[in-house]
Amino acid sequence: MQRRDFVKAMLAASVSARSMLGQNAPQSVTPAVPPPIPPKAAPLPAPGPVPWMRGLMEAKPLPMTPLVPDAVAHTQTRFFTRQQFATLRQLCEVLMPPLKNAPGAIDAGVPEFLDFLISVSPADRQQMYVSGLDRLDTEARQKFGVPFSGVNLQQADALIRPWLRTWMEDHPPADPYERFINLSHTDIRTATINSKPWSDALPSEEDRRMEEGLYWYPVDPDLQRRELRRS
Amino acid sequence: MLDEVDVLIIGSGHSGGMAAKVLTEKGISCVMLNAGPVADIRKDAELRQAFTLPYRGFKDPGKVPHVFQANEFNANTWVDEKEVPYTSPPASPYNWVRVRLFGGRSLFWSRQSFRLSDYELKGKSHDGFGDDWPISLADLAPYYSRAEEIFRVEGTPCGLPQYPDGNFVPPEENPWCEAMERYRKAGEQLGVPVCRQRSSLGVNGLASSINLLLPDAFETGKLQAIPNVVVRELRVNPATGLIHEVHFVDRISRREMSIKARVVVLAAGTLESTRLLLNSKIANSSGVMGHYLIDQIYGAGIVCSVPEARDGRSTRELMEGAALIPRFRNIQTKAKDFLRGYALNVSSSTHPMNPKNFAAYGRELEEKLESYSGSGVHVGIMGEVLAHHEHCVSIDKHAVDAWGIPVLHIDTRYTDNEFNMARDAVDTSLEMAHLAGFEVLAKNYEPNPPGYSIHELGTCRMGDDPNTSVLNKWCQSHDIKNLFVVDGSSFVSAGWQNPTMTILALAMRSSEHLAEQMRQGNV
Repeated sequence: MQRRDFVKAMLAASVSARSMLGQNAPQSVTPAVPPPIPPKAAPLPAPGPVPWMRGLMEAKPLPMTPLVPDAVAHTQTRFFTRQQFATLRQLCEVLMPPLKNAPGAIDAGVPEFLDFLISVSPADRQQMYVSGLDRLDTEARQKFGVPFSGVNLQQADALIRPWLRTWMEDHPPADPYERFINLSHTDIRTATINSKPWSDALPSEEDRRMEEGLYWYPVDPDLQRRELRRS
Repeated sequence: MLDEVDVLIIGSGHSGGMAAKVLTEKGISCVMLNAGPVADIRKDAELRQAFTLPYRGFKDPGKVPHVFQANEFNANTWVDEKEVPYTSPPASPYNWVRVRLFGGRSLFWSRQSFRLSDYELKGKSHDGFGDDWPISLADLAPYYSRAEEIFRVEGTPCGLPQYPDGNFVPPEENPWCEAMERYRKAGEQLGVPVCRQRSSLGVNGLASSINLLLPDAFETGKLQAIPNVVVRELRVNPATGLIHEVHFVDRISRREMSIKARVVVLAAGTLESTRLLLNSKIANSSGVMGHYLIDQIYGAGIVCSVPEARDGRSTRELMEGAALIPRFRNIQTKAKDFLRGYALNVSSSTHPMNPKNFAAYGRELEEKLESYSGSGVHVGIMGEVLAHHEHCVSIDKHAVDAWGIPVLHIDTRYTDNEFNMARDAVDTSLEMAHLAGFEVLAKNYEPNPPGYSIHELGTCRMGDDPNTSVLNKWCQSHDIKNLFVVDGSSFVSAGWQNPTMTILALAMRSSEHLAEQMRQGNV
């Protein structure tokens, strides 16, 4: 909801910003330096007699919705060891199983996605995952004589539940292992809910719209756009 | 080409926008410089689902590590910490949260709109700590009134001296929701006032420099603005002791340029303004520039649930509400282990709850989320941070930003006063929650790192004595008469209040004074 309010506010902002710019474009700042002279009908260094860009302005946008690679491709895992990855996979299965009509973490490709995300994360987060997964696996072997990837749900619960905490935003538990259990739970949930299979499973288009957020591209200098506005 | 501009305003947020509006409406020509581009939401932003983003909506790892407010959707709106780095001691992290888009941080803020009271402005007279401001609420009140009118501050008078009433738009709907009423009654038993929130409605949902201040300034035909220029240095003419030239660099091409100005109004935000002055090596005969960095403690608080709102029984009448508990400590009585005070933000809603509030997973968690949906109450601290000389910023001699400008070293930390205050805030919130019959789900005593509130203040403090302050009571440099610093850096104490309305009132007051001084030929 907050995100939607924010979107509304920003759409309002853009209208104001636009009208502000619109009002003032004609009496714009006397530039300290003259603006670059736009290329006149000078021929481009094309290999043939036809200008390279001919016809592009008239082309209709393609009738396509880009496919996200996850829809058809598998992420190649490379960060966690085979053992750690098996532990992570089991943790995903336990913490975020498929429920009702919603996909679980495995269906959402979460273990593979987290392997990628953690591989590009700062060292402290990598360390938290690596030592957390190792400890979880060690405890499974000590208590139940099997790797964590082989425990049943009851055994998994006995290993995980003692470490579950309630916590407030930006303040996960300080103990490293508690931190791992609770933060990895949050990560697994988020990666599941933010996945394409989760979105596909939503009952209606309106539900999918509710999930949208306002994504900002890098706001780079738009000298060219300003020229366009003026014309 | 102009030989000299009348007033050069650096920064386009709330304070720069207010300066531009006041000065241009008095017929003074202004040129505004802004370090970033103008955002156009239809070109620069798009509605997307998280799975279409490169990191599935997770924060781009390592991109803006000190901006807790960032996520993958908004990451590009904050200043990139690699482009404009800053340093701090490893044991004392600082969250410097910056926006360089045109309009600055006025584009994104929580809208809470408060006046400081004389408990803050004259804090030393009340409890002996720190320094009084050279002005009182009576001096600022007329300017608050006008700023509140422009920003359309919605509020209800409470008649409490520590929560000064203002020029309010009455709220559309008046009844408290039942959850807030229960919290209010709980407060009554403990002598804790639970009041209405006060917040800027703005226009069409936006309360920013770009829709409430700058359009009026442009309308006069007296304001011109240059985006994408980063100011490097203010240069003083040794013959006159006045700033005569402002040196800047084009953000894109890195072309070095300069502009002559009769007056400079600095409104780049507390720490950027201070950085620019320190890099320019001016206006600091007092030696206090960069010192006394203050803000507010955020992050400590509790999350509760109203049992009667669970299992599908949540209604707007029961749950949709918000309240503000203004400072109540150290007014009539004295707290045992801290000075000054804090406010509490209270809100309840019919929304789903955060899974972090439940020590459960899988099916059990889903059942809890369903059962507790629409029953949540959040209480969070906004606490005054005391001003200490040793909490300071300086120029880091070993690091520069993308344009070769030396960066800031920020050295501050919270002290026992802040930690004790946070503890009292959480314990009091818990006691009230129990009295109100709420179930407490989560609590946190630990404040977020300094800077998190985005309310950094105080590093060019104002005062009557040029030996102990950077600015006079008009936000004018004691040393350089044609330099005004109208952002939050002039604050002497932080208070618990969101500083926006005070920054606006100070910028208005200062700009009117400047206009009059220019008319009289004194500046």
